[in-house]
Amino acid sequence: MKNRAVPIFVVPFGALFIAFYLVPIGYAIVQSLYKVERSGTFGPVREVFGGLDQYQRVFQDGPFWASLGRVAAFGVVQVPVMLGVALILALLLDSGLVKGRRFFRLAFFVPYAIPGVIAAIMWGFLYSPNLSPLKPVTGAIDFLSADLVLWSMANVVTWVYVGYNMLIIYSALLAVPTEVYEAARMDGAGQFRIAWSIKIPLVLPAIVLTTVFSIIGTLQLLAEPQVFRSFSSAVTSTYTPNLTVYSTSSIPNFNLAAAFSVVLALTTFVLSFAFLRATQRRSAEQ
Amino acid sequence: MKGVSVRRLLASLIVPALFLTACSSTDSDSGTDASAAACAPSSAGPVTLTYTSWIPGIEDVVKVWNAKNPNIQVKVQTGPNGNGGTYQNFFNQLKAGNAPDLGQIEYDALPSFRVQDGLVDVGACDNVAKAKDQFIPWTWNQVSFGDAKGAWGVPQDAGPMALFYRADLFEKNGIAIPTTWDEYAAAAEKVRAAGGYITNFSQSDINQFAGLTWQAGGRWFANDGQNWTVNLTDDKTKKVADYWQNLISKKLVSTVPPWTTEWDNAYNSSSAWTWVSAVWGANSIASGAPKTAGKWRVAPMPQWSAGEKSAGNWGGSSTAVFKGSKHPYEAAQFALWLNTDQEALTLLNEKANLYPATTAGTTLPALSKGVAFYGDQKIYEVFAQASTEVAPDFTWGPTMTATYANASDGFKAAVSGKGSLTEALTAAQASTIQTLKSQAIPVKE
Repeated sequence: MKNRAVPIFVVPFGALFIAFYLVPIGYAIVQSLYKVERSGTFGPVREVFGGLDQYQRVFQDGPFWASLGRVAAFGVVQVPVMLGVALILALLLDSGLVKGRRFFRLAFFVPYAIPGVIAAIMWGFLYSPNLSPLKPVTGAIDFLSADLVLWSMANVVTWVYVGYNMLIIYSALLAVPTEVYEAARMDGAGQFRIAWSIKIPLVLPAIVLTTVFSIIGTLQLLAEPQVFRSFSSAVTSTYTPNLTVYSTSSIPNFNLAAAFSVVLALTTFVLSFAFLRATQRRSAEQ
Repeated sequence: MKGVSVRRLLASLIVPALFLTACSSTDSDSGTDASAAACAPSSAGPVTLTYTSWIPGIEDVVKVWNAKNPNIQVKVQTGPNGNGGTYQNFFNQLKAGNAPDLGQIEYDALPSFRVQDGLVDVGACDNVAKAKDQFIPWTWNQVSFGDAKGAWGVPQDAGPMALFYRADLFEKNGIAIPTTWDEYAAAAEKVRAAGGYITNFSQSDINQFAGLTWQAGGRWFANDGQNWTVNLTDDKTKKVADYWQNLISKKLVSTVPPWTTEWDNAYNSSSAWTWVSAVWGANSIASGAPKTAGKWRVAPMPQWSAGEKSAGNWGGSSTAVFKGSKHPYEAAQFALWLNTDQEALTLLNEKANLYPATTAGTTLPALSKGVAFYGDQKIYEVFAQASTEVAPDFTWGPTMTATYANASDGFKAAVSGKGSLTEALTAAQASTIQTLKSQAIPVKE
């Protein structure tokens, strides 16, 4: 009986997982192993097996690796800032110091309900040197210049995702049994001490989870730079790895775009797992 | 336990992969043999064609055709403009084998679609080859690629360029309307002294820059049947690049990103005084800078030497039939009607300000009226003249999307003070050749 029930639960998931996850990945891998051949300037196009030809191009592509470096710098700064703010907001909500907890919980989360493209457009206007309502500021500092635009986008991403990450951490805090706090208070711990020594260690798995999500999100940056391309002279068609994939597929060079995607997916995979490994090992040691 | 799951995972990856390999290898053969078939009417009765375009109001034009042709019904799908997403959709649809029967494709993108083997040669279809003489010669060259019998689309509209200028501001400040590029640069100094900018240099409209180069005699691409030649840095192009670089370096032009609210604002607030643009630009100013109504006029493009008569072109589309269409004959008849019938052309002009690619079309009654936004000037007469002055031999490359993106990346750097326009074009030259090679498109270096 038991065994017969298993497929009923697994098949729907499995079918969707295969159709929308494994098949596209498999298709991308297959595409990346092909190249086109043609004769004459408008000759017929033939797709032939090309081995690792496309990957050779990927590894020789300077702008692609420069864009990976760019999102790495973005991630190293933006992810800790965003998660730090999310953690502080979650701790404040949980501390009981704040009145109107429900209101703030929702208010922090509202930016996440705004589609990423709309948020980017809105911030684009706020940054604009001539149209911004904060003209005295944007007239003095060019937020869309080559030096600053990456961090202007980091600000947009932070604004959108802080509430989302806060909510994950906050729900982890709610799951902590109140006896633990009572015991701490009996031992004479204040709010700060409780937060530092009890709450943060207990929500560490949630923080790890949000970090992995953020690493993946950073490597996949597309909407913000795509929107900012039209506002800013500093955002090129190869600004982030995903923009490179997009630009390449619109040439159209599907095979090369597939190879870029596969390399990007592998990088994401390796970084996420390296991070998980590192944090798991540390928590095991503790 | 671990071993099993890894093996399963691999199997699930490899099985679909093998399946898809089988699919894609059959896919790639099917495209090649279809082109030889002659263009004949489909035997069956009524057919329904799908047509994708981004012309505002195109539905109303198609309604007229549908009412007259019960056996060839056209269903319109609209989308964003070509480089804004529709081309990418077309390429994806062609790859997936479900492209519409007809699509709007600008001249600069036609070679890309032909290189990808996405277009039907409608030159063999009844009446199409015969229509050749109805079109402005250079527009036909764009769709025929110089082939005597071939036509990989039907020309729709043209974008002859001219100089839009703020008559009131020029007059008030006693500045003469420039007729040569030297005068234009001299006027730029005076305009700047009066607190304005002569124009806004567009960092991402590389096709506008191509139009300026076209006028100057620069030719970016050539195709001898065996090889493509890429020449984004010929002397004429360099002359144009150096000219604008000089204006940028001296800060005589503003450089806000084009097609943004900021850009509209530059024109609406009288900061930018002229725009060297195509005929369809008349609409862009009217909608983007409503506060300046009645103050604009149109004059011929400034010339490189006094007394010359040469114009550039920016934009213009064709109506093409995609590979895989089951009714290329019927599709070609619709495309021909859409772009030669006086009623259709009048509607297209009324709805979307399209400027016809036929010589008869340029004398449409609608095109001899004064336009209120331009102080009732008969602006289309200027463009009709310009349209006869566009050199017929400008060839577009087969990967313009990439060339535009590369050049624009460099132009953006140049307006931010990093590098120059010529350096941007040199870099775009190298990466265009790289893009061609990565697609196995033969290119001579």
